[in-house]
Amino acid sequence: MLENYLPVLVFITIGAVIGAVMVAMGFMLGTRKPDDEKESPYECGFEAFEDARMKFDVRYYLVAILFIIFDLEIAFFFPWAVVLDQIGMIGYIVMMVFLAVLTIGFIYEWKKGALEWE
Amino acid sequence: MDAFLDILWILIKIVAIVLPLMLCVAYYTLAERKVISYMQVRIGPNRVGPRGSLQPIADAVKLMFKEIILPTNANKTLFILAPMLSIGPALAAWAVFPFSEDLVLADINAGLLYLLALTSVGVYGVIIAGWASNSKYAFLSAIRCGAQIVAYEIAMGFALVVVLIAAGSLNLGDIVQAQAGSWGFLNWFWIPLLPIFVIYFVSGVAETNRAPFDVAEGESEIVAGFHVEYSGMTFAVFFLAEYANMILISALTAIMFMGGWLSPFHGIPLLGTLFDLVPGFIWLLLKTLVVAFLFLWFRATFPRYRYDQIMRLGWKVFIPITIVWIVLAGFFVAV
Amino acid sequence: MTFEKFLFYVFSAILVFAATMVITRRNPVHSALFLVLAFFTSSILWMLLEAEFLAIVLVLVYVGAVMVLFLFVVMMLDIDQAAMRAGFIKMLPVGLLVAGIMAVEMFLVVGPKYFGLDKYAMPAPHPADYSNTEELGNVLYTIYMYPVEIASVILLVGIIAAIGLTLRRRPDNKRIDPALQVQVKKGPDRIRVVKMPAEKKMEAK
Repeated sequence: MLENYLPVLVFITIGAVIGAVMVAMGFMLGTRKPDDEKESPYECGFEAFEDARMKFDVRYYLVAILFIIFDLEIAFFFPWAVVLDQIGMIGYIVMMVFLAVLTIGFIYEWKKGALEWE
Repeated sequence: MDAFLDILWILIKIVAIVLPLMLCVAYYTLAERKVISYMQVRIGPNRVGPRGSLQPIADAVKLMFKEIILPTNANKTLFILAPMLSIGPALAAWAVFPFSEDLVLADINAGLLYLLALTSVGVYGVIIAGWASNSKYAFLSAIRCGAQIVAYEIAMGFALVVVLIAAGSLNLGDIVQAQAGSWGFLNWFWIPLLPIFVIYFVSGVAETNRAPFDVAEGESEIVAGFHVEYSGMTFAVFFLAEYANMILISALTAIMFMGGWLSPFHGIPLLGTLFDLVPGFIWLLLKTLVVAFLFLWFRATFPRYRYDQIMRLGWKVFIPITIVWIVLAGFFVAV
Repeated sequence: MTFEKFLFYVFSAILVFAATMVITRRNPVHSALFLVLAFFTSSILWMLLEAEFLAIVLVLVYVGAVMVLFLFVVMMLDIDQAAMRAGFIKMLPVGLLVAGIMAVEMFLVVGPKYFGLDKYAMPAPHPADYSNTEELGNVLYTIYMYPVEIASVILLVGIIAAIGLTLRRRPDNKRIDPALQVQVKKGPDRIRVVKMPAEKKMEAK
């Protein structure tokens, strides 16, 4: 089985190498004349007046947490979908109970307004 | 020594995939400009080469010789690392892609899972670029993009689960084989899984940050988003990654819903044998081109979604539909 | 040394390096990114054990989801570096004590007495068409159905806890309800175009 994954590993390495080579080429071939005005971050012609890394609404974290939970749910679904024809009705019911519990959660977040983007 | 030869052979194959892919990406950018310009009743690039056919090469050379600007207060290492993180997954995804019945580099059993994992890694390039630039526009874009990709990835994951239920295998080749039947193109998954087909493709458009979901770039509001500070080759790498991802999504849509390398009349007597004479790779290419054209068509046709509408569509429309479809499709397979 | 062993040592070295960087870097974003690298290399190590499903899910869930949240938090937090390090010397003995207890506990549980190649032999290599996912699915939803259901309840608790902790209404937001927007009627809801006679031009004086 592992011999199937060797090309994948090599491909991932090559993908990273191609990116690195292209950026390195840009540095070698391109001109480089640094200048204070040129290198200042773009802010529609204004001077930057505070640190760009600002605090954000906690709402974004909520989206990320909900994403993790649903991502895990998907991870549970994958093996189930593959063997569904082998485990038959019992396996189906097991997973439907699983889905039902999480759908309760989904309905809860919907009704609570957590999916509302305001 | 043996392992070394193996790796050398793999490297040759990888080059055989990556070089044509890069060429496709280059000409996809030209196709985009041409298609959109004809839709807007103009000619588009027409100066470099006959009918502008050498335009992408001229662009590549130009970008190569441009200055790479490192903004003051930027986090230099991460700033340079970000474009690499965005092209790496876009290329590596092709490792498991079946080009025809027996033309695949890594015939792994968990192919679909691998693709989903790589798509989820792709978000790093954008987030890191936005943060490392130390620019307000870039940072806003990184935040927007993060939340958007995250929402659509769930819809995409659920859509893939439905495809899995229908095909019964994570292997991309097996998924294509599961669509073969005696009805030709009527056997492909796009008919029984029509809503999932639409959801997968639209989520793909949102994942690649393309119009009408391109709020991460939003040139009229946040000037270009995460790559506003990027120039020269670092910008070119982001650009390549975006287009490589678009081609990937198109090709995957063709594989999972449009029968991959199967001819449209596969399995039908007489007509099927006639059409099977054409190599499977050509069919796959044609299908991919059709889907890739949709990306460009969307851009020329649809106005940009508002951000709350994007989030609404992902969470409140796509996810419920896919859940219902999982319940239905699962029931039919389990019985 | 076989090729697999070579890969194992290479990626183990990267993993240990990445893990060290996670706790030694000053910049929290760098730490988080090294943690991503650590997850990625450990996924490759799992793959060397032929646990293909778990290896890819590790990337999917931890790299693709959990670390994105970490980065979000770390990027947007305003961490005062000096204040963080203020009590370092004062707290050091307590920290060392806790770390020491944890190290001993871990040694007792995962020490050489219970682990090692003689206790758990290297899994026999599987043929090319072996599907780890399928094997997992066959036992997960039949023999281990209760743990699966319990997992769903845990995830539900996670959803409710996340909403309870982070959801708050902002009084200052100017949200528009699209449902109300499309329901506007002609008349009082919309602007009215009033006809009035053109005003006369002011005469120049």
